[in-house]
Amino acid sequence: MAIVQCHSNGLPLQIDTQIGLRRKRQMRMALIWGGFLLFAAWCLNGTIVEDTDWSRIGGRNGVFASLGRYLTIDWTLLPELIVPTIETFMMASVGTVLGCFFSLPVAWLGAVNVTPNKTILYPLARFLMVISRSVHEIVWALIFVSAVGLGALPGVLAIAMRSVGFISKITAEAIENIDAKPVEAIRATGGNEFQVMYYGILPQIYPVVLATVIFEWDINIRRSAVMGLVGAGGLGLLFFRQMNSFNYGGVSMVILSILLLIVLGEIISHYLRKAVI
Amino acid sequence: MNGQTTAAIVKQKLTWSRYKFPESLWSFGTILAVLVFLAYSLHFLKIDVLMMLGALGKLGGVVAARFYPPELTYVTDPGYLASILDTLQMSFLGGILGVFLAIPLAWFSAWNVSPHRAIFFPIGRLGVISCRAIHETIWTILFVSVLGFGMLAGVSALTMFCIGFAGKLFSDEIEAVDMGPVEAMRAAGANSFQVFIYAVVPQVRVAFTGIAIYTWDVAFRAATVVGFFGGGGMGWYLKRNVQQLENLRVGAIILSIIAMVLVAEFISGWLRSAVNRAK
Repeated sequence: MAIVQCHSNGLPLQIDTQIGLRRKRQMRMALIWGGFLLFAAWCLNGTIVEDTDWSRIGGRNGVFASLGRYLTIDWTLLPELIVPTIETFMMASVGTVLGCFFSLPVAWLGAVNVTPNKTILYPLARFLMVISRSVHEIVWALIFVSAVGLGALPGVLAIAMRSVGFISKITAEAIENIDAKPVEAIRATGGNEFQVMYYGILPQIYPVVLATVIFEWDINIRRSAVMGLVGAGGLGLLFFRQMNSFNYGGVSMVILSILLLIVLGEIISHYLRKAVI
Repeated sequence: MNGQTTAAIVKQKLTWSRYKFPESLWSFGTILAVLVFLAYSLHFLKIDVLMMLGALGKLGGVVAARFYPPELTYVTDPGYLASILDTLQMSFLGGILGVFLAIPLAWFSAWNVSPHRAIFFPIGRLGVISCRAIHETIWTILFVSVLGFGMLAGVSALTMFCIGFAGKLFSDEIEAVDMGPVEAMRAAGANSFQVFIYAVVPQVRVAFTGIAIYTWDVAFRAATVVGFFGGGGMGWYLKRNVQQLENLRVGAIILSIIAMVLVAEFISGWLRSAVNRAK
């Protein structure tokens, strides 16, 4: 993108200055790319060259042999798959709704124009949003498994906690961007805080929030499919069992059903979001 | 007479509702259906509702009793610090590979400039969707079983994850370009590769850079747990200590993960704003 630099009087700069500026820009780009490539080379060296035991992989044939084990699909697993698939779907749904429930207060405290206290509660809510997003769902699941034991409950809670950050962040932004006039009008006619929320804020944010929740639900199906890896039920548990019993065809079957479930979820969420907006 | 009119107005006001008859039926019906489904799910999953709602308080108690005080000396150990560097290397390499593989797939799967709508479009879509659909931890387990423990498996899993993540954002971005230059190139007889390079890339370059940086940020978040399933990095320490029930160390590791993710988020935010300024 060539930009012609001009003096304040509108005349173009001297041609030397132009060339100098361009050269400077090129130098900077070269430096950025050089640094980037050096960093990439360092990463490549650290991970692939130093840390990989090529003899153990067994060369190209070894890799193909291990890949080939997955190509046979164990269809006999099909009847065992139905209940975990429903469980996974339900865990994602309940987790998403619970996450919405948890995000309501966080979004309310974290939106700068409606927060009751800007010095303590607002930063606290922002901090909660960041924590929820930066802790991976597997780690959340580990914490909840140690808190409430095995089963579907820790999975639901982990999904809920992981969803809080995204839902409440988008909701808080939507609240910050609302039109203030209806809110003032309701206040002027004597509406109390609840009425201001229900009639002034909620109608303005609900399409955005609902679309976000549906989007998050779609992602949560993916997350709930791995909750079983750390002891929280669903398809992940079946995957883990098949993997541990070296039934590679069964592993492929579980992955196929995960794919099917997620494509189904994606289609549903696509049409739901269309209906909402 | 006058009093009656006032009473009628008051009555009318009282029966005002935001939803009129057909919509109210639809919306309440939907809400009811969702609630019934949720109630049935809770029953099916055998979840105790009171326990679920009380879990947050319990979480506080568990954290205070088991994970506090975190053993901070453990995370300043040189071996652990090296694993943080490993995580950084894995996420960076996975991000680069994923982004470079995602660009052609995104080109294929963008409906408006796809080179062939009957052949390449489904290939691109299917590639991106299947990379996205399978969670990064499952990719890790699969790659570990093929390539063995270590960072190579982690990098491969993160690459797949980044293809799915960046590919979707890239193709959305390509589908939103101004079609004027594309039509002009096509009218001048350019093939679809030339159209992509000269009409699409200049329009999406800045957005792609931003997305690539964001992809690295998300990949770093994923890289913190890739090690849990044998992919190398911080996650491996997490797994070891979880299995040995060294809860104070686990607390310290989780704290360090949060800190590193915050640092990565800060760096990515700063880089993205720098890219937007240089545009």
